[in-house]
Amino acid sequence: MNWETVIGLETHVQLRTKSKMFCGCSTAFGAPPNTQVCPVCLGLPGALPAANGAAIGLAVRGALALGCTVHPKSIFARKNYFYPDLPKGYQISQFDQPLATSGTLSFVSPERSVVTATIVRLHLEEDAGKSIHDRFAKGTGIDLNRSGVPLIEIVGGPDLRSPAEARAYLQTLKQLLEYIGISDCDMEKGSLRVDANVSVRRAGETAFNTRTEVKNINSFAYVEKALTVERDRQIALIESGGTVTQQTMLYDAKENAVRPQRSKEESHDYRYFPEPDLPPLVLTAEFVAEQQSALPELPAAKRDRFVAAYALSREHATVVTSNRAVADYYESVVRAGAEPQAAANWVMTEALADANDHQEQLRVAPGALAQVIALVKGGTLSHQAAKKVFGEVAAKGGEPRNIAEALGLIQVADTNVVAGWVTDVLGAHAPEVGRYRNGETKLMAFFVGQVMRASKGKADPKLAQRVLEEKLAASA
Amino acid sequence: MSVSREEVLRIAQLAELDVQEQALADLVAQMSRIIDYVAQLSAVPANGSVKPVVPGPDAIRFRTDEVTPSQLAFGPEEFAPDFKEGFFVVPKLGQFE
Amino acid sequence: MSDAKAVADRLVKAKRLNALLTPPKDLRKSLNAQAAAARPTGVLYGMPVAVKDNICTLEFTTTCGSRILEGYRSPYEATAVAKLKAAGALIAGKTNCDEFAMGSSTEHSAYGRVLHPLDKARVPGGSSGGSAALVAAGAVPAALGSETGGSVRQPASFCGVVGIKPTYGRVSRYGLVAFGSSLDQIGVFGRSVHDAARVLSVISGRDPRDSTCEDRDSLRLPTVPESLQGFVIGLPREYFPPELDPAVRRACDRAIRLMKELGAAVREVSLPHTPYAVPTYYVIAPAEASSNLARYDGVRYGPRFNGAVDLRGLYRSTRGQGFGPEVRRRILVGTYVLSAGYYDAYYKRAQQMRALIAQDFRNAFDRGVDLLFTPTVPSPAFKAGEKLGDPIAMYMSDIFTVTANLAGLPAMSLPIGRIKGLPIGGQLIGQAFLEDEMIEAAYALERVVPETDEA
Ligand SMILES: [Mg+2]
Ligand SMILES: [Zn+2]
Repeated sequence: MNWETVIGLETHVQLRTKSKMFCGCSTAFGAPPNTQVCPVCLGLPGALPAANGAAIGLAVRGALALGCTVHPKSIFARKNYFYPDLPKGYQISQFDQPLATSGTLSFVSPERSVVTATIVRLHLEEDAGKSIHDRFAKGTGIDLNRSGVPLIEIVGGPDLRSPAEARAYLQTLKQLLEYIGISDCDMEKGSLRVDANVSVRRAGETAFNTRTEVKNINSFAYVEKALTVERDRQIALIESGGTVTQQTMLYDAKENAVRPQRSKEESHDYRYFPEPDLPPLVLTAEFVAEQQSALPELPAAKRDRFVAAYALSREHATVVTSNRAVADYYESVVRAGAEPQAAANWVMTEALADANDHQEQLRVAPGALAQVIALVKGGTLSHQAAKKVFGEVAAKGGEPRNIAEALGLIQVADTNVVAGWVTDVLGAHAPEVGRYRNGETKLMAFFVGQVMRASKGKADPKLAQRVLEEKLAASA
Repeated sequence: MSVSREEVLRIAQLAELDVQEQALADLVAQMSRIIDYVAQLSAVPANGSVKPVVPGPDAIRFRTDEVTPSQLAFGPEEFAPDFKEGFFVVPKLGQFE
Repeated sequence: MSDAKAVADRLVKAKRLNALLTPPKDLRKSLNAQAAAARPTGVLYGMPVAVKDNICTLEFTTTCGSRILEGYRSPYEATAVAKLKAAGALIAGKTNCDEFAMGSSTEHSAYGRVLHPLDKARVPGGSSGGSAALVAAGAVPAALGSETGGSVRQPASFCGVVGIKPTYGRVSRYGLVAFGSSLDQIGVFGRSVHDAARVLSVISGRDPRDSTCEDRDSLRLPTVPESLQGFVIGLPREYFPPELDPAVRRACDRAIRLMKELGAAVREVSLPHTPYAVPTYYVIAPAEASSNLARYDGVRYGPRFNGAVDLRGLYRSTRGQGFGPEVRRRILVGTYVLSAGYYDAYYKRAQQMRALIAQDFRNAFDRGVDLLFTPTVPSPAFKAGEKLGDPIAMYMSDIFTVTANLAGLPAMSLPIGRIKGLPIGGQLIGQAFLEDEMIEAAYALERVVPETDEA
């Protein structure tokens, strides 16, 4: 039996603001518990919310980047439920009149090439506090520093067809949100959180079956795993004659298993109603236009431009534009005079590898990388030597040419000098010379390698090969 | 009775209120009476064109994004029923609740 | 400082009314400290103002008349209280009230009922009954109360004092413990229109902490007018039904005649949706209350009741035992009308009706009426216990007052006579943010009305 998975993601994203959504408390991460709290975010009797304009602006930017319709008037609503980390007994969110609706997100699916997923809605809300389960023997500790931190919730349509696709969608979404600078999207710090609606159906069916909601996916690495486990559970259930019931499943990363949420309060009767403490959220056209003009070039547009302007392949352009800082770096290298394809090759390999090992720092200045590339192109450095120079510049700084000279890596292109090394090598490997002359021409690579070795990497390899060919042919 | 016993129990659970068994019959009767009373609103012909309005300003004001916490005159340890090592403490919750 | 001592002595003398929740010892100590710190240049310098117990103060506890906040001290103070102190006023203790302001008799206080100053068998009205009784007893010249559906005007009428509810958004609600957020306003009681008005003027005005508070300057007090020449007073016919107590009718007629003699034009108007105001109110207020009172869960503040071993047990015992019967009832009704399947039939319908009620008022004002005049309550103070068994009968004492809350309009009650020795109030309802006109008319009427005479 062929099964199809249907997944829709609800993503909560913490907005990058200094103060909380409805009070002036700091949003800084990592402060001692309950030190960034006030009457408002503690839910003390009599306290009232006052909305953070910057958070609203960042949410509008997110909505615009996702191609959503941003509504000139939206309404805050109360979502009522009891939980100890929810101080007021309700979360201020948005319900039937959200900030923005109907956008899209295109991403490269591992299975279906480019997929355009729908964004159903994007709304503003406040975060809850944190429950600490392992600190007290008999109790749970509640820290309300995070209570009231601004979030956007991005509700994606049921457009994803596999756990791997869900992961690709999330990666693209994260990349977009980082690009536009509205969130640091750090899943480990909880600034990006994802819940998934999952159902399965037989291939060819068009109706949706009962879905479950998978929560508690706390790390990027778990997205695919958690969804796979839930998908497999549903398929096994149906194949053994059971039916899927609508419920919330919590992912347990340690066991790589999902289990139904234990609490009986599963009614989900949130009794939404308009928040009477806040007037309507009215956005002027000027405000929305300001947010639009604050948006940088978005990743998809940048990728297309790189393909057109620098003649990169779509794959290379995708890698180079995957991160805004990398894309900007690449363009600086090209602007410093490097040939675009060579610059892409260097950025995708050496530069990214070095950054990966050093807290995402692009340690070699764009001008220096352009110089390294020029030295290779001019035949002054071998590719191998250039990598060494790159590593040296990354670690210690300095001028690439000076470093190459200091390390003695400048390529020798003097035929007489190279011929000397060739003579030594051929003299030392008489048996191989014989085999070569008997037709085993693939040994040429071996001879070139030996010449490079004898020259300590300084010989120009192309010249070395030409001299080798001449000498081996001459005495035949 | 316009409100059933089961409904009162369900609502009480949603509202996290203990309802004593001996008080339940009275509560069902009182709630039914109140709900019947307010239900006269639905006797008025519905007018879909009426937009709900609430008094107060027409639009939300935007607060400047600055860290300006309003100071508490004293900390949670003074008013919390159970406060240890900087945390409000509640009965143990499972990680998967 | 002898002023502080005299203030405390007067308050302690009124102790038998059970109107004050602050113990005498705390009161004396704090009044001394406050008097020493008060700004002599403030416009209310040295004026004692008692504060309803649902308004947060750094001085004294803030319990909202509830067990669930027994002993609770707020770590911050309401904007209105801060403004009073900045004007040199003394916070003269916290006054008893119906639990979370839910009631019309102050019998729903966890700390015992408040006695009517003129007849201890009767109620002072509510929910701000403690504030009204203290002002009526002469213990303080003014007090803060709060209104959701008439909780200042109704006890003002019962106790024979002036009570003003400002326009929604005139006074910051920051620090007023929420009951029905879209209806709530802090109101004031005074021995005279002037005492009430000058306190209102001080506490009014913009506050960035309350998003529903209008960005306006504080209220400018009008001068006492010579006449009511140029005023058009509307008499809504729905507020003078045939079954209205004839004595109440007589008191109103006398006040109307006096206003005419002062030069006011009087005309009958109609507010046709009035009959639906009470049911509308009793959907919206409990709905908002059910959500506003969710925060009392025993987690962050307030006492916990018995040793619950699990979280749900903690919630249910704290809320089940911490809240009194009327509050529990309203939380349940509010939860019911918001719950899945009922929202449209009740809450949404009530919001539409609210719009129609507000439109009624706009229509009347659009036809050239400046102010409306009505009885405040259909009857004088009733006996304690009389309406406890029937919530609907209790709700009906708000019948003439809830409309101003639903429409967000300013309204006030002032004494216009007595029935068998018990005070009765007349109500003025003004246009949004035109409190000054309303107060001007009240000044004029106050000067001529024989407020202690039988009607
Ligand atoms: Mg959400
Ligand atoms: Zn805060």
